[in-house]
Amino acid sequence: MNPYERLMAVLEGRKEDTDRLPVWCSTRTSTLDGMKKFEAFWPEAHKDPKKMARLAASVYELTGNENMSVPFDMALEAEALGAPCEYFEGKIKWISVKKFIATDIYEMDIPEHPSEFVERGRIPVCVEAIKTLKKKYGGKVPVIGIVNCPLTSVSSYLIEPVEFHKNLIRDPERIHRIYKTLNPYYAAVANAFKEAGADVIVFTEEGASLNNISPKHFHEFVKPHLTELISMTKPPRVLHICGSLISKELEVITSMIDCGAEAITIEKKTSMSEARKIADEHRPGYVIGGNIDPYNVIHGSSIEVIRDRVKRVIEEGTDMVCPGCDYWIETPTEHIRAFVNAAVEYGTPPRWKKIKTNLRSSTRSNL
Amino acid sequence: MAEKEKILDRLRQAVILGETEECAKAAQDAIDAGIEPLKAITEGLAKGMEVVGEKFENKEYFLPEMLLSSEAMYASLDLLLPLLKTDEAETKEKIILGTVEGDIHDIGKNIVKAMLIAAGFQVIDLGKDVPASKFIEKASEEKAGIIAMSTMMTPSLMSMKDVEDQLEKKGLKGKVKTIIGGGTATEQWKSRIGSDAYGKDSVEAVNKVKTLVEEIKAAVKLIEKRRKKKRKK
Repeated sequence: MNPYERLMAVLEGRKEDTDRLPVWCSTRTSTLDGMKKFEAFWPEAHKDPKKMARLAASVYELTGNENMSVPFDMALEAEALGAPCEYFEGKIKWISVKKFIATDIYEMDIPEHPSEFVERGRIPVCVEAIKTLKKKYGGKVPVIGIVNCPLTSVSSYLIEPVEFHKNLIRDPERIHRIYKTLNPYYAAVANAFKEAGADVIVFTEEGASLNNISPKHFHEFVKPHLTELISMTKPPRVLHICGSLISKELEVITSMIDCGAEAITIEKKTSMSEARKIADEHRPGYVIGGNIDPYNVIHGSSIEVIRDRVKRVIEEGTDMVCPGCDYWIETPTEHIRAFVNAAVEYGTPPRWKKIKTNLRSSTRSNL
Repeated sequence: MAEKEKILDRLRQAVILGETEECAKAAQDAIDAGIEPLKAITEGLAKGMEVVGEKFENKEYFLPEMLLSSEAMYASLDLLLPLLKTDEAETKEKIILGTVEGDIHDIGKNIVKAMLIAAGFQVIDLGKDVPASKFIEKASEEKAGIIAMSTMMTPSLMSMKDVEDQLEKKGLKGKVKTIIGGGTATEQWKSRIGSDAYGKDSVEAVNKVKTLVEEIKAAVKLIEKRRKKKRKK
């Protein structure tokens, strides 16, 4: 079974067919080592489809990490709506925004039709890179397109975040309007990626965690609009939210599941065992991935600790071994290799095969 | 309830509920009723912010609620601060605050600022995308003992290290204490770059700053004691 078949089986509800847990990164994957070995440095790799494809494949080539994803930044969609981006030419830095240009959708540069939107900015670069990756790796390694959802995208790159967040309370209509207007455009990006050959779409909405907004606001704004956005796209899809998602008063994990993606991925601020328990009560067997700390553990800890954390997260019930966020770009290749190898070792056979046997014996004893 | 107490309560409530206009109105009423501006700040606004901090810790309040409360407090402070007697303003401990270079997200920083002011510190806000050199220049110029740095983005974590490196170069390490915070900062990052404290949220940031101020005061006392001893000899 190859990485493509393994991940697709898990995301298509055929967990039983797999030989072990998939190990991949549901967010952004690029490392300095990869940039050096494949001569695909930022910022060129953001803009040149050949370099983008080379860098996307680099972590797989170097470590066996089981996916390749584009883009490497979170500004893609916002830039296509007019956000002025800083690429830091000659340096290796994350793309950032020079200034916030909007207060509402009226100041964003929105084309008439979503089909025009996917021709803008670097979206065609990603589409081209996906085609290249698909040609070379299709059917062997899953090719993934990442879409940064409207709340995070707009409040990080288009509208001043302080003003944006005040309006969750002061002008909720504005927030609904932003989501409602932009959803078809963001869905068009996902669909363009899919058409180019992406096997999976990951939706990231990092700004929607309980580190930022209340569970009440998650229900009021995030849940209905993400459900709509995801419904406009084709499976399999993964929804990723960083930060804490456990709330005793008002459930958030179940709402995230109800958004309609085939799986969710979480980071270390959300406990895997708690998420597993909540998910299994809500929808038994629902696919969850996560939640190894990419900075402190994979980048900053010893091989021993990395292996121990992977073992632990599998015991806690993850279905897919993933870092909770992007690989930190300075992560040594051997650390990611150790992370992948540990998942292969501890993730064989997958947990559900063990559960199945347990279930059979417990049903028998009940009878 | 006496008239003055009623006004103080209105200030507290307006901060807690994040009502900007009401908070400014209450501040004006406080001034008109002859309430000392310092009292309106410490017993009205600051008490309100204390409740906001508690609500944040109890997960009743999140970013949007905190931002509205801060905004309400600032609206009131705009009226009250200019009326403070100069000696009242000067005796306050100074904190240099800013979002580090490469990051224009100041959402967390603004909340910390509000909480620091409410806790009685004088905050010199350098804004966002602040170069390392500016933090240090301003700290020397204002004779401030503490630099507080924030970032939401992983990439700009390195800018925090720049500040520490420059402090080291100028021989100011230890004399000027630093505290870091924000979405991507961690206790580990604090240790790695040699910062003095890390605040995981605005409430913890204020507590850690208080500890740093105590440390600075204790160090100053120790130095004075030694000087006196030397003189005696």
